[in-house]
Amino acid sequence: MLNDLQLNSILEDFDIAYWKINLLNKEVSWSEHFDTLVGKPIFSESHFEYFLKEILHQDYRYDFRLYFDKLTEENEAFSIELKLKLNNGKYRWFECRNLKNKENKKETAVLLFVNIHQNKRDQYTIEENFFYYRETAQMTNTGGWYIDTQNKNIYWDNVTKKIIGCPLDYQPPYEEHLRFYAPEEHPEVTSAFDKCEKYGIPFKVELKMRNLYDKDFWVRATGKPVYNEEQDIIGIRGVFQDINDQKINELNLQNSLDLVASQNSRLFNFAHIVSHHLRSHSSNLCLIVELLKDAKTDKDKIELIPNVADISENLDLAINELNEIVNKQTVLEKERRIVSFERALSGVMASTSSLINRENAKIVAEFHALKEISYISEYLESILLNLITNAIKYKHPGRRPVIYIQTYLKNETPFLEVSDNGLGIDLDQYGDKMFGMYKTFHENLDSRGIGLFITKNQVETLGGSISVTSTVDVGTTFKIKF
Amino acid sequence: MGQKVELACIIDDDKIYVNLVKKIIEIKKLSNNLLIFKNGMEALDHFKLILENATEERLPDIIFLDINMPVMDGWEFLNEFIKIKNNFEKKITLYVVSSSIDPRDLERAKSINLVTDYLIKPIELKKFEKIFERNGNAAA
Repeated sequence: MLNDLQLNSILEDFDIAYWKINLLNKEVSWSEHFDTLVGKPIFSESHFEYFLKEILHQDYRYDFRLYFDKLTEENEAFSIELKLKLNNGKYRWFECRNLKNKENKKETAVLLFVNIHQNKRDQYTIEENFFYYRETAQMTNTGGWYIDTQNKNIYWDNVTKKIIGCPLDYQPPYEEHLRFYAPEEHPEVTSAFDKCEKYGIPFKVELKMRNLYDKDFWVRATGKPVYNEEQDIIGIRGVFQDINDQKINELNLQNSLDLVASQNSRLFNFAHIVSHHLRSHSSNLCLIVELLKDAKTDKDKIELIPNVADISENLDLAINELNEIVNKQTVLEKERRIVSFERALSGVMASTSSLINRENAKIVAEFHALKEISYISEYLESILLNLITNAIKYKHPGRRPVIYIQTYLKNETPFLEVSDNGLGIDLDQYGDKMFGMYKTFHENLDSRGIGLFITKNQVETLGGSISVTSTVDVGTTFKIKF
Repeated sequence: MGQKVELACIIDDDKIYVNLVKKIIEIKKLSNNLLIFKNGMEALDHFKLILENATEERLPDIIFLDINMPVMDGWEFLNEFIKIKNNFEKKITLYVVSSSIDPRDLERAKSINLVTDYLIKPIELKKFEKIFERNGNAAA
């Protein structure tokens, strides 16, 4: 045994036990501390055999014997990590290695047993946590990033690089980092990063990023400030989660929802026509039948006949209108094509030539600022037709109808304006009802009250809007934003 | 048979319907006189004129009001009529008459005190006669 008591106590303090091995007869003796660790066992066989059988975890028996033999026979150094059963019956991690032999001490070898259980456990915890982190990051497509605002550097982890679509050795450029966001997001991104860098305000946003190949995709991004010991902000770190698939689904769902809502409102309008318009004719028919039954003389009966003719004519007209509305709305399936305003207008003018000639209407068109548009041509023609016939129907009795049609671009949005010099309308009184179904405001024989309703429907179906300005006795302007 | 109604009023833009009702009233001799307006605005103008002239001679005993009409519909007319109605001494019975079977129209009409009942077109001859009989007695 070592005689140095001080060394012994130091070793104990560090929880280090040791064996002394006689290299000549391979006998093992162990330190008091080792005894304490394993609980001072009483045994009859050799220390070594007892150790292998009772103390060492079976997984390490083979290896340990191998190392032991090499040490004793060839004096070969070794170091392994193994598990020992302690006096409480539990296994603990130890590192076992031999103390380097000095030249003059060839007959003995010393094996140290260092308790490394805590380290091992920490290491396991770290590995385990890292495993969960990595799996979560990959499964949810979440990448980490760090912006060193002091040294102007950006660091991305591998998942972030994968999301951005860049090679693993890619170094993101600090000054041009906005390039990785869709242009429309730049103001929001700049403000979020600025606020975080200057005032330490964290952010959590959904935004559109742009990958290395200029393809946009949706991410959820969080960012938090990083402080140094003086509590100065030295950087921002956070994560990007690729949520493109979910977001696209969400947007699609919203679109379908909007579509369903708009179909529903059409259905509602349809039911409205049936309930209000068709029924009025059928109820008249019922009334006349009752009157016919009640009529006493043939003369009374014959007098009722012209009414039957009127009703049947009206009924026919109403059914045709319904058909018209249904037909116009099934055009929805059609695709947009480039449509020339000039061509659409000439088609409309050809089909309304009799009306235009009868009323001696003058139509002036200015399409030079915007000649064509990607639209459904049937819609554009129907819109022009409704607005032109409307303008002529509600012409001012005192003057020749003039219709001015103009197209233009404003903030890159196409517009169409149709103005007339007609009766005009009091918008304060009727403005909100202008585009409703069966709303007629003039006692005009041709008023059917579905033209503007259909026009509005068509414009909105293709994502546009229609507005109106008017002055009584001066004229009306319809403005369509495509 | 009760007393005849002195003056009945129809506010409706459906010419055929108005013609038929007119015929019924003539044949059945339900009312001595008949006022016909083709929208709410025309009717309202008439009632305002009565107010100005302070003579209730041309004030009807019974009104049949349509809902869907151009220029001023039945609801808008009711809104305006409520404001001036209390200036009249005569009791006026008002029926909303519509071809609409939309339950919301029915609810809305019943929520207005001024409206005695909501009649769905076509009105049966017998029911029509009964309404006139009832109001004829009251107006006598």
